[in-house]
Amino acid sequence: MKVTIIAALSAIIMASVVGLSAHDEYRIIGTVTKISAATLTVKQSKDGKVFTMKTDANTIVTRDKKKVARTEMKTGAYVVVDALGDSLEDLVVLEVRIVPAPTAK
Amino acid sequence: MTTKAEPQTAPAPSLATLAKTTAIVLAAAGLILMTIILPAEYGIDPLGAGERLGLTAIANPPVTIIEMPKSEGAPLAPTANGPIGEYPHEFKLDTFEVALGPYDYLEYKYSMEKGATMVYSWTASAGVHHDMHGEHPAVGGGEPEAESFDKKDRQEAAGSYTAPFTGIHGWFWENPGGDTIKIRLTTAGFYSGAIEIRSDRTRHPHTLHAPNVVRTGTVSAP
Repeated sequence: MKVTIIAALSAIIMASVVGLSAHDEYRIIGTVTKISAATLTVKQSKDGKVFTMKTDANTIVTRDKKKVARTEMKTGAYVVVDALGDSLEDLVVLEVRIVPAPTAK
Repeated sequence: MTTKAEPQTAPAPSLATLAKTTAIVLAAAGLILMTIILPAEYGIDPLGAGERLGLTAIANPPVTIIEMPKSEGAPLAPTANGPIGEYPHEFKLDTFEVALGPYDYLEYKYSMEKGATMVYSWTASAGVHHDMHGEHPAVGGGEPEAESFDKKDRQEAAGSYTAPFTGIHGWFWENPGGDTIKIRLTTAGFYSGAIEIRSDRTRHPHTLHAPNVVRTGTVSAP
């Protein structure tokens, strides 16, 4: 009985790990349009699409490869967002890099 | 007391005999040349004797072709024959050009069997973050396991690559700055497919070309 319970728990844990690791990493590059306590909205520069992504305690914000406070992330800032999820509509932000806006051509 | 015997010498042949002997030898040599040597060595048979004697076949032996196990659907895995790797069908050519937007990244990979080879060269209009790597096929719905072989910032590279395992093999390029960077890759090798994977995780298969097809290259933007 004990062995069966351990095997079942192991299977559940393994399935969860596989499920988590099956997420893809996406990159959204553009301008921050809205920030809330648990979300970040970015207008993608290449096609103008707007993505609202979840943020959590693990989300980090950097500038020049250094970690900065989340309050540094402001509306209008140009950002490179790496986020994890199953699709572009369901993303959790891993890292937000605040970068200089591209040179206008 | 002994006396030395004088050595007996044959009388010298007359000039007529010498000429006659020489003529006989030359005629015999000529006959051998015309009937045996020329047909057997060079396939020249002026008297037809070579063909009757079966000697012309020596000069032109039939070509026996070793059939390769050709099949378009067969995996492009090499079979070792000394220093030669033999494949079931011909290699492919590919040229890929891309304009990589500011801070964006892209992957471009080929489906290769273990041991299959390709040669490549690529150049970029500015330095990029670069990782040449291979990906094992995903197992059980999990993430495919990747192995990096050259992870450096580069602006160009050229080399040959032998796939250490069956999977997809190629490049990750990331634009580190705010200006668009153009990248051009040219390869030739024993791969069966090419795929472009963009930063939005969309996958775009590319058409490969046989060596006898010349084309001018394509441009695709992420």
